[in-house]
Amino acid sequence: MSWLRRNGISVVAGLAIVYMLLPIAVIIWFSFNDPAGKYNFTWVGFTLEHWKNAFSIPELNDALLTSIELAALATLIATVLGTLIAIALVRHSFFGRRTANFLIVIPMATPEIIMGASLLSFFLILNIFSLGFQTLLIAHVMFCISFVVVVVRSRLIGFDRSLEEAARDLGADAFTTFRKVTLPLLMPGIVGAAMLSFALSVDDFVVSNFNSGTTVTFPLYIFGAAQRGIPVEVNVIATILFAVTVAAMGFTVWQQRRAEQLAAVRPEQETEPFAGTPAFPPAPGTAGG
Amino acid sequence: MTKGKLLIAALATLVAALVLAACGGGGDEIGGGSESEATTVDASGEPSGELVISNWPLYIDKQTVPDFEKASGVSVKYIEDVNDNAEFFGKLQPQLDQGESGGRSIFVVTDWMAKKMYDLGYVQNLDKSAIPNVEENLLPSLQHPSFDENRDFSVPWQGGMTGVIVRTDLAPDVRSICDLFDPKYKGKVEMLTEMRDTVPLVMKCNGVDLAQATEQDWLDAIDKIKQAADDGQIRRFTGNDYARDLTSGDAAAVIGWSGDAVQLQADNPNIEWRMPTEGCMLWFDNMVIPVGAPNPTAAEAFMDYVYDAKHQAQIEEYVNYVTPVSGTKEIMLKQDPDLANNQLVFPSDQFTSKCDFAPTITGEEEQKITQAFEAVVSG
Amino acid sequence: MAGGRRLTPYFLLGPGIAWLIVFFVIPMYFMGRLSLYSGTLETGFSFDWHWANFSDSLTLYDEQFLRSFIYAGSATVLCLLIGYPLAYAIAFKAGKWRNALLFVVIAPFFTTYLIRTLAWETILSDQSPVVDALDTVGLTSSGRVLATGPAVIAGLTYNFLPFMVLPLYASLERVDERLIEAATDLYASARTAFRKLTLPLTMPGIVAGTLLTFIPAVGDYVNAFFLGGPSNKMIGNTIQSLYLTQRDYPAAAALSFVLMAGILAIVFIYIRFAGSEALMGEEAEPAGARA
Repeated sequence: MSWLRRNGISVVAGLAIVYMLLPIAVIIWFSFNDPAGKYNFTWVGFTLEHWKNAFSIPELNDALLTSIELAALATLIATVLGTLIAIALVRHSFFGRRTANFLIVIPMATPEIIMGASLLSFFLILNIFSLGFQTLLIAHVMFCISFVVVVVRSRLIGFDRSLEEAARDLGADAFTTFRKVTLPLLMPGIVGAAMLSFALSVDDFVVSNFNSGTTVTFPLYIFGAAQRGIPVEVNVIATILFAVTVAAMGFTVWQQRRAEQLAAVRPEQETEPFAGTPAFPPAPGTAGG
Repeated sequence: MTKGKLLIAALATLVAALVLAACGGGGDEIGGGSESEATTVDASGEPSGELVISNWPLYIDKQTVPDFEKASGVSVKYIEDVNDNAEFFGKLQPQLDQGESGGRSIFVVTDWMAKKMYDLGYVQNLDKSAIPNVEENLLPSLQHPSFDENRDFSVPWQGGMTGVIVRTDLAPDVRSICDLFDPKYKGKVEMLTEMRDTVPLVMKCNGVDLAQATEQDWLDAIDKIKQAADDGQIRRFTGNDYARDLTSGDAAAVIGWSGDAVQLQADNPNIEWRMPTEGCMLWFDNMVIPVGAPNPTAAEAFMDYVYDAKHQAQIEEYVNYVTPVSGTKEIMLKQDPDLANNQLVFPSDQFTSKCDFAPTITGEEEQKITQAFEAVVSG
Repeated sequence: MAGGRRLTPYFLLGPGIAWLIVFFVIPMYFMGRLSLYSGTLETGFSFDWHWANFSDSLTLYDEQFLRSFIYAGSATVLCLLIGYPLAYAIAFKAGKWRNALLFVVIAPFFTTYLIRTLAWETILSDQSPVVDALDTVGLTSSGRVLATGPAVIAGLTYNFLPFMVLPLYASLERVDERLIEAATDLYASARTAFRKLTLPLTMPGIVAGTLLTFIPAVGDYVNAFFLGGPSNKMIGNTIQSLYLTQRDYPAAAALSFVLMAGILAIVFIYIRFAGSEALMGEEAEPAGARA
């Protein structure tokens, strides 16, 4: 019973992970299916045929590449812009702060179809950008910024300033403090925001549909293909994407472990207080709240 | 100094926005149909250059486009971005309203959407002199549809029949639209969100002659459907995602398209498309040339190319919907006799004797009917 | 130097806010104008100060509004209940694996909405063992999950879970474990330590997560479209229908603005309730205070 109490959280978390991955298991399973028709709903038989031909549908590959490129760029821009906004909103008091806070939230509340359609009309009026990758990028950055701001902001709030103060007291200028103290401590928030932004972009359908011109993104391709039957290769590629990123994550874990082992062998130098890790615990009562 | 400067900056932005709005307000009137006659395409001369086609996905085989490129010297950009008539219209409308087609010279949209676009002035009349194959090979039954009496602006691409698809093991007795309302199948019936498929079929169940259908007939049918939805008889209204529900048995009988059935049957022998006793709905997806099409000459060359029965047979082999080109069946008999004799792909006139095209509705009537149906289907 | 300091927030805000103003506010302004048009596409839309679009949308679609808020609210609560333990475990118990686990949380997004929903439909189909198990356990009663309200809520929950987990994680990760140790050393029970220490410290994350989940969920249409029956449609479906199928652009625009106003009103009340410091961070320094 006390095992449960100690590990209760982990058990629930484990169940949550299973819940997240359940559909992926089904997708992977059906990537080995061998349907005679164009639909992939009934299990017919095991085959590696589609795995061998995973990249045999050029439209699918193009769509996927476009989506990944788009998501990567959009994430980069949105994360940078959003983080800067978050810092301004939390750290500074200025005229227009309440309005800016308000403005950030509104795009999240907007129904996608209205956002997509209005942006399309606007692009047509402006007549500067060609409908396609450019307009897709602009649209994606636009709807990702809000999410980045909210995530980074929640990390910034209640941030322990004493570390930064210590750095300044020890002679670091504003920029160095930011670079060596604030940014590393902010990193989990920024990484979380970036991941969310990437997921949003790679999965977007409605806004992309309106503003893509003749460019086809991955979700656009899927929704289109669903009309006639989604090819098994789609499942294969989804599995590959999943496997590749799991492998990449596993690789970074392995790298970290190696780095730690090597560090354990070499004697440690005294690390400076603002190298990014707190050297002494903050006094109780000052952290947050 | 800050507050003052900011106020000015804010005001400046506001003014800029308003100026922009005023300039962009050239959209003060949106739509409004075309007061003038539709323009006719001039497709004279040799086809050349680039051709951009927007079609539904998986609606063409892999060889036709490269073959056409070789035969004509035209370079084709074939995009499969039509996945729903209304959605495609929605995203093209702002451009079409300005006389632009986004670079496309051919769209493929269903009958009623082609007509709607034409009425709004978004589609051009064809230059018939450049499409002799179409003139010659278009199936006689398709030459004078009610929505385009003389085939002035539309050329059928592929078509299909809407009827009932059943799980022969779960709903063996369903043979008509009226059977779908049998309480025995409560919660296992699905109908299409496509109004022009679902409602006319239910009207047929009500005994209405579609050629004489009145607004009241439509509304009565919609009421019947609403009743069934409220009772829980109808599980869902779907696009073609009924396919999955049928496969798993969540749905036992649905209103569905013939082309899907051909695919589903391949892996599920107990799924069968049935011609309803009242008859089916016929529909075709049509090639149209939009306003602002950059290359109508190449567009018509393509239309002409696919109306050669040989080329059509190649497309048909892959697509498995109903072809509008006569002479294809004869060629198919040699290539793939099973397909040629499949009533769903090459239906005989007798098979489709009770089938109709959806009646054309326009204006306020259309608005009212659409609104009533949408209230039932998507809230 | 003090003058430069005063302008820092504007430089920081500048690019992002400019992007939003140009590519969101201005297009929305046009939509706002459109909401006051009347007419049809065939006869032409024209600007008419047609406020009826707004009053109509409230009277005609009140049911869908209510349903949307209920579904979105339920999904948000579920996301919080599932997401908090998950974020907690990732932040404190995962060690080196935390990035991998974070990735697992967003991995489903790479497969596109349609594919993962189809997978769920396979899992939750009437005949599946999963639904039978749920029936036996008593969570469902009619042997059917799909095409019901709960299915829509389940879809919303699954698809918005990352929106809850990521901000929660960002906030939780900040909590220094040694504080919790100190608290337990001082005889606080685990529960008290959580209630008085972790929970308040992670309030910003909770507020952020609930906002990021609730706000977009209200306007969602895909989940109700694929997983719901005819009586489970949300306001997003109505807007979709008005815009695409009925081609009544002014009505669609008006309905969207009413929806947005409704959401923002709720958010406003929520922020007042949750304490704006948890959201805005009132500890911000006044400009020019730092030497």
